[in-house]
Amino acid sequence: MEQVAIKEELSKMLGQEKVLTENLDLMYYSYDSSFLTKLKPATPDAVVFPRSTEDVQQVMKFAWNNNINIIPRGAGTGETGGCIAIEGGIVMDLSTWSDIEEIDAMNMQVIVRPGVIHADLNNELAKYNLFFPPDPGSSKMCTIGGMVANNASGLRAVKYWSTEPYILGLEVVMPNGEVITTGGMKARTIKNVSGINLTKLMVGSEGILGIITRIRIRCIPKPSARGIAMAVFDNLDDAPATVLEVYQAGILPSGIEILDSSAIHAVNDFKPEINLPNAEAILLFEVDGNPPSVEYEGQVIKEVAGKRAREVEWSTDPVRMTQLWEGRSVTATAAARVRPDGTRIFAGEDISIPISRVADTLRAIRSLGKKYGIQIVNYGHIGDGNVHSAPVINPENPEEVERVLKLVHEIHLLAIEMGGTTTGEHGVGAVRRSYAELEHGLAVEYMKRIKKAFDPHGIMNPGKVF
Amino acid sequence: MEFKELPPVKEQIMKCVRCGKCRSVCPVFAEVGNETAAPRGHVFMVQMLRDGKVEPDKAVYDKLSACLMCETCSVNCPSGIDVHELNAAARSYIYEKNPSIAKEFIFDTMWTNPGFLKASTHFMGGLQKLGLQKIARDMGLTRILPGDLPEAEKILTNIPTKSAKTCLPEINKTVGPKKYTIGYFLGCATDLLSPEVAKATIDVLTRNGCEVIIPPGIKCCGLPHIANGKMDTARKLAAHNIKLFNSYNFDYVITDCASCSAALSRKNMEFLFKGLNIEDQAYDFSSRVMDLTSFLINVIDIQIPEVKYDKKVKVTYHDPCHLANAQGITREPRELLKRIPGIEFIEMNNANSCCGGSGTYSVTHYKMSMKILDKKMDNVMETGADKLVTCCPSCMMQLKYGVRRHNWKCQVVHPVVLVSECYQNALIEQGENR
Ligand SMILES: Cc1cc2nc3c(=O)[nH]c(=O)nc-3n(C[C@H](O)[C@H](O)[C@H](O)COP(=O)(O)OP(=O)(O)OC[C@H]3O[C@@H](n4cnc5c(N)ncnc54)[C@H](O)[C@@H]3O)c2cc1C
Ligand code: SF4
Ligand code: SF4
Repeated sequence: MEQVAIKEELSKMLGQEKVLTENLDLMYYSYDSSFLTKLKPATPDAVVFPRSTEDVQQVMKFAWNNNINIIPRGAGTGETGGCIAIEGGIVMDLSTWSDIEEIDAMNMQVIVRPGVIHADLNNELAKYNLFFPPDPGSSKMCTIGGMVANNASGLRAVKYWSTEPYILGLEVVMPNGEVITTGGMKARTIKNVSGINLTKLMVGSEGILGIITRIRIRCIPKPSARGIAMAVFDNLDDAPATVLEVYQAGILPSGIEILDSSAIHAVNDFKPEINLPNAEAILLFEVDGNPPSVEYEGQVIKEVAGKRAREVEWSTDPVRMTQLWEGRSVTATAAARVRPDGTRIFAGEDISIPISRVADTLRAIRSLGKKYGIQIVNYGHIGDGNVHSAPVINPENPEEVERVLKLVHEIHLLAIEMGGTTTGEHGVGAVRRSYAELEHGLAVEYMKRIKKAFDPHGIMNPGKVF
Repeated sequence: MEFKELPPVKEQIMKCVRCGKCRSVCPVFAEVGNETAAPRGHVFMVQMLRDGKVEPDKAVYDKLSACLMCETCSVNCPSGIDVHELNAAARSYIYEKNPSIAKEFIFDTMWTNPGFLKASTHFMGGLQKLGLQKIARDMGLTRILPGDLPEAEKILTNIPTKSAKTCLPEINKTVGPKKYTIGYFLGCATDLLSPEVAKATIDVLTRNGCEVIIPPGIKCCGLPHIANGKMDTARKLAAHNIKLFNSYNFDYVITDCASCSAALSRKNMEFLFKGLNIEDQAYDFSSRVMDLTSFLINVIDIQIPEVKYDKKVKVTYHDPCHLANAQGITREPRELLKRIPGIEFIEMNNANSCCGGSGTYSVTHYKMSMKILDKKMDNVMETGADKLVTCCPSCMMQLKYGVRRHNWKCQVVHPVVLVSECYQNALIEQGENR
């Protein structure tokens, strides 16, 4: 179908205010946070902003009948090109559909539409002393729909895991325009094992199976206390060893973060006043719960970490905790600023490896950086083996871009070699699909069959995942 | 300097990782909800402009000019990008290539060009009486001015007929021993819209050891011109003011207007003059510039006379973007308020979110401006304040309209006016006791 005709039809269907059709407007939908789309932005044929299940159904039916691609989009903070129309089509921006439909405090659950921002939801839930624990670094901007589609997690995944276990049920508009509900969407139960678990299938499906239009989320009571321990190591291997020992001591911190020497330098360069101790690695442990349990766990961590660390500091003072945590939270920022004529890029940024291999992997990444002459800042969620590597380059220098793409490829291969995966939380999208066979082998064939069963015309977000 | 060679364009565009953090803080994006209004969208579009992927035409200008220039995105950007500077540079580039499209600018010229205004001291009064529409019609501007004009006109009511400059002497001697010689940068908005602020500034400064000089021939600080794509004019205006003030040997150059102090700041001087001949003079000038409240707190450490009061007055404070975002000044105005006897200070929610006024934005983008203003007013009204204080005459105009629009009984006032009132009341009390 001609682009002009598509635009006309959509405008008729939804009304002008829910459709973008001007070429200039459409260009703004050619990127997300991925390095890929910074290099190669891809402009869609139209953008729609549905605000009801019926809106979504209408657009889906139209696309189904005319064989037009549909690309769901939340806030566009994904780092994989997942929400980009790389093969053309209509982008469905769900971020303006942001109703919290019901907070059922009694049954500890909430129903939202896909565009609700993660931080906004938790601000509302806080009024009931509840929270939805996964906490991506993009909490203030990403949508719940995007989180479900990517199965996002964050700093506190060590204890609270990812989005998936909290999703009780979904409403999904299928590629042919039919609406299904999965799992406990219609029930108010917390447990539900009835039927094949389509909820689990949809969570992490990255927009290739259907449009998620309603989400029932399980929430849990908000802990009343927290504390942070910082342990400083002269030997990189001591960091993962300490993590394992803390677990063995029966403690499950809410988060365990690592900064290696590259990250420590970056932070100190960027904000000298934070003044992190120079070391091979710094670990930050966050524990939460009630005041006595937090204090007890803090003391255990102090004792265990003290065996290997040069220094350990434990604090429950809010001011000091903010300072310590700032060391971690500014790392991503500091990485962007270590080179005045360059920036960090989001590529090869999300590998996940066994905790026991973290030290080896960090060393290997460092030598890859040397091999390609590229500075890399390493930090991440060591508690679950999810390492964020931030290559720092001048993205407008083609020669450097070429080099970094080779480096990124080697980082991905390294992850697989270490018994890990190319992505721990950000997803596959367009940027990591080429590793599907390597990571999953024959299983990819079954994934494709599932995809075909849901989307026989192949119109849902093509060019992603595998 | 060529557009591509401008420091922000050359150095900062590539730093944007499109993380979207700026989406979560932009007041315009919060209303529009689509990427065309997101700060990172502006960065992207400036890049497209730089790379020749889009033409420097009206359509692109309109997209970029939806931005308030409130700088909230810039202070929150992890990569340290001055999104607003990129935007300003791009608008200026488009304007250069395509002068007819910067319609807003004509309106700006009308109310920020001293020539225009001086020609008739009653210009603003006249403007009011006749109505903007008529003036615009007479000047043949109706075709190019925004359609919201009849609505926007309401914002401009109650403009004083006499400007501050016509009432204040050039040299204002100190009351008591002299400590500092101050150059008072009397900006257009204070001069024309809030002359009472200028009077209070002079009153408070002269009572605190300052001789205050208002150099004749001060021109607009240039901020509206930057916002409306006239970088060249902004440069000329700034150069004029730099030379004017540098010809004295002031200890400080003080302004009571947040936009003026932002425009005269080191950062903005870098934006305008980096790499040009006048650079050093500009930095010398900006090193003396200080916002009035910072001066009163940090330099003078002002002690306000104790005066009697019947009942405490509830006061809340709105952070002007050009003070809080552009200069990081948030503590001093609050500290000043807390030193005023008889004040109960109540912090409002989101005190640092933009009021939607942003110079001429309320006229050029009336509807959007009102949505942002209404959000601001909700936060103000929640405090139940009797007085709404802010340090920018342009915000004051917008907030006064907000108060009227919501039928709210609340006085919009600059803090220096409250301080000056204390001095006046103390004098009266002394007289009574004598
Ligand atoms: C600074 C920064 C920090 C980050 N930190 C983390 C982190 O700590 N942990 C983490 O997991 N991720 C992180 N991310 C990645 C990203 O924010 C998450 O993946 C987030 O969940 C994406 O949400 P979004 O709304 O931006 O989705 P988008 O980027 O718009 O879309 C993501 C994918 O979901 C699909 N999709 C979106 N909405 C729907 C829907 N309603 N139905 C079906 N499919 C849909 C899209 O097609 C796309 O494939 C970070 C990103 C940035 C920029
Ligand atoms: S916050 Fe900064 S780096 Fe992130 S998208 Fe906005 S402008 Fe770009
Ligand atoms: S300057 Fe203000 S209005 Fe403009 S893009 Fe940034 S946050 Fe939005």
